[in-house]
Amino acid sequence: MISITGLRKNFQSGDHDVAALGGIDLEIGKGEFFVLLGPSGSGKTTLLRSVAGLEKPDSGEISLNGKIVFSSSRRISEPPEARAIGMVFQSYAIWPHLTVAENIGLVLTHGRLRLNKSEAQARIRHALSLVQLDDFENRPARLLSGGQQQRVALARALAVNPALLLMDEPLSNLDARLREEVRANIKKLVSQLGITVLYVTHDQVEAMVLADRIAVMAHGEILQIGNPFELYRAPANSLVAEFFGSINWLRGRMLDGGRVETEIGTLVIAAPWQYEGNVILGVRPEDVKLAQTSAETENRLEGTVLATTFLGDQVTIEVKIKDKSLIVKALPDDAKPVGEVSVQLPKEKIVVFPETVAERSLDYK
Amino acid sequence: MFVAVSVAGLTPVVAFLLIVFWMGFWQGSPGDPVVYTLKHYRELFADASTYRTLLNTLGFASTSVVVSLFFAVPTAWLVERTDVPGKNLIFALVTIGALVPTFFTSMGWVFLLHPRIGIINKFLMDWLDLETAPFNIASLAGMGWVEGLGLSSIAFIMIVATYRTMDPALEEAARVHGLGIFRTLRYVTLPLTFPGILAAAIYIFTIGLSAFEVPAIIGMSNKIFTFSTFIFYKIQPQEELPSYGMAGAVSSLLVVLALLLSWGYFRTLRFSHRYAVVTGKGYRPRLVELGKKGWLLAWLFLGCYFVVAKLLPFLLLIWASLLRFFQPPSWAALEQVSLKNFYGLPWNLLLHGAWNTVLLMLAVPTLTLILCLAISWTVLRSGLKWRLMFDAVAFLPHAVPHLILAIAAVFASLFLLRNVFPLYGSLTILIIVYTISRISFATRIINNSLAQIHPELEEAAFVGGLPLLQVMRKILLPLLKPALVYAWLWMALLCFRELTMASVLVTSQGNVTLPMIVWGLWLGGSLNQAAAANLVVLAFMLPAVILYLYFGRRSRFTEAL
Repeated sequence: MISITGLRKNFQSGDHDVAALGGIDLEIGKGEFFVLLGPSGSGKTTLLRSVAGLEKPDSGEISLNGKIVFSSSRRISEPPEARAIGMVFQSYAIWPHLTVAENIGLVLTHGRLRLNKSEAQARIRHALSLVQLDDFENRPARLLSGGQQQRVALARALAVNPALLLMDEPLSNLDARLREEVRANIKKLVSQLGITVLYVTHDQVEAMVLADRIAVMAHGEILQIGNPFELYRAPANSLVAEFFGSINWLRGRMLDGGRVETEIGTLVIAAPWQYEGNVILGVRPEDVKLAQTSAETENRLEGTVLATTFLGDQVTIEVKIKDKSLIVKALPDDAKPVGEVSVQLPKEKIVVFPETVAERSLDYK
Repeated sequence: MFVAVSVAGLTPVVAFLLIVFWMGFWQGSPGDPVVYTLKHYRELFADASTYRTLLNTLGFASTSVVVSLFFAVPTAWLVERTDVPGKNLIFALVTIGALVPTFFTSMGWVFLLHPRIGIINKFLMDWLDLETAPFNIASLAGMGWVEGLGLSSIAFIMIVATYRTMDPALEEAARVHGLGIFRTLRYVTLPLTFPGILAAAIYIFTIGLSAFEVPAIIGMSNKIFTFSTFIFYKIQPQEELPSYGMAGAVSSLLVVLALLLSWGYFRTLRFSHRYAVVTGKGYRPRLVELGKKGWLLAWLFLGCYFVVAKLLPFLLLIWASLLRFFQPPSWAALEQVSLKNFYGLPWNLLLHGAWNTVLLMLAVPTLTLILCLAISWTVLRSGLKWRLMFDAVAFLPHAVPHLILAIAAVFASLFLLRNVFPLYGSLTILIIVYTISRISFATRIINNSLAQIHPELEEAAFVGGLPLLQVMRKILLPLLKPALVYAWLWMALLCFRELTMASVLVTSQGNVTLPMIVWGLWLGGSLNQAAAANLVVLAFMLPAVILYLYFGRRSRFTEAL
């Protein structure tokens, strides 16, 4: 559906160039919900806008549905209106001088489809019913609430029957409760319609809820592509691991036989690693088990409880082992340990990276 | 204390307005006992020339709106929304354009399009074998054309601001969903910028209504009067006695009209702000790619604009200044070229005028800034119950035609303050009126900057034990400095080109200013000498313009409109 190769784009920042896109390669399949995830300045929006034709990359190639829409070598750069896409903007970009129906009608009658009035009318109705705004047709758009504007923007983007739907942080301007509701609706709607979606967000929860696959981006590079489970359980490097929730990092040195000597003691890891030298180990707080709840003796360590924080659905416990403090998440009815405690680190939940990579993960691909 | 200073600065504004209204019911000459009468209003409404003047004024102002928008809207669109090359140059040229005195370009256009001497007319008559001149600058269309060219700079700056406050995603949404460049322009960009353009049109129209220089230079000698020249003529008639009562009556009507228009302007502006969305997103909007051909067309348009609006009148003035009697360029004419006009200028008077102008340049901006700092502080920081009143009064000098402010001052100095405080014909009266006329501009600049400074910055200093004056000196002034420097320079430059107010305030050699000398030569019929004097004035102005370009920031200007 979308095929991107070697896409580069530099921005002038002061007197030096900054790579917004540092040679992106990406394949997205038909009907896939694909999320670009990354912090601000990671290049995700630039990538999305390049696909839309709103940004002109310096080099590379983009094809949509088998048709090349941008190619620096062939000097092709189709304008946005020639690409069969629908788009939801972060600010929604609802035209304030038109009514709700006119907002959708304008793209139907004067956009790619050039429908006549009555055909357009039927489509407007249908699009509005998809987002449950049936009675809003004649409402002036500037009088809508943020959530309603968001839905009109989605209806407008869907009304043109796009092969590809682009969404640029469409939920970031909604409040937390509304966001969850709209998120669920979007997921249901696009899976019903079976359209391909390219979605930009900086919120990893949003990405995990919505995505079939996620590309994690930083500094204009894609760090890893995978489904949410893979990214959470098998991050390619420490940056990806940190982006998906909190994690305890331990420094260590590889010994033979899958053992690592770390600052809190010698630990056994699952994957047999043929590596000599310093490594960094990561283990997520919810994967660390308090000894009371585990009979396992492997990777069992003794420590002291420093602090306990009650968060309602869970308890966070800070355990000091040797000079290192480890965060442990437990269920609230696991009791609140005080004083001496023993914890256990399941070996299959420990991720390991060479230390150089962990520290300079951006140089690694 | 700041409140006291604000009151001191704003009292004359209110007083001048009241004087204008009062003048309209007043009859007699200095020293006579005061007689109140409705005579002036009766005469005014009975006289056919009133209605002719009204029609003239409306025709003149409308033409100038059409002309200025014709050049400003496409130029603003090119600069803000396309990839046309040379944007900084366009900005610089347009901003400098706003500083070129209108009396300067007016004279240039007389040399171009006057039915008898205008070189374009002569050329076309020779070439096409015409009996009469095809163009006449001394007409409403001609005057509106010149005024419109002059005001196109301000229109441009206002319309650029409209484009800037519009969320570019609104246009991108149209492009992405299949609307091409022209449909996007037609269905999204134009309707969305319409309120902003309308506001600019009303603003320009208001200026056109009370514009003085073009009607004074082109219209008056050909007996085409607009309200401003009509009022001027009542005060300085050639045969009869001055009629302040009549001037007051006309002025009162004009003030009411101008206030209504300003109200309309703010209504429209508020409506246009409804469309303004602050996205907070740092990306630059996608610019329309014009391509090589488009660039060529765009620069052809821009080139014509700059040549017509600035270069052509300028060249004509240079040419005229070198000739004894004006004639179109030819080999025969070239032999007569000399610097005699420059040698023959009244240099003593010019130097005296330059000295006065420099004093004004230093005094007016400084005084205005001191007053306006106090006013802005009162409006935004004092928490006073009446603070919004201060804001409204500070806006009045913008709405009220400057010529009328000047007339009120002359009237006050002649009839009310004559024995108390002799101001008539002094430089002080110029300083006072110029300062008052700039209050709206400066308060809005300072208001905008002060609003961006968080009050906690001052509160932190108060809590730290600094007294108010120290807070002003150590915290506010440094933070406001860029805006203050900019406003100071801009107002200083406006002093250089000010003719409207000077035309009634300058009554002696003692308080003569440079533009008045040029105008005097022009009215006296020595057009070529006036051209030479004009160039000398521009030369005096040049160092200040360079300073302005060096320190000035173009963005500040857009805030003040």
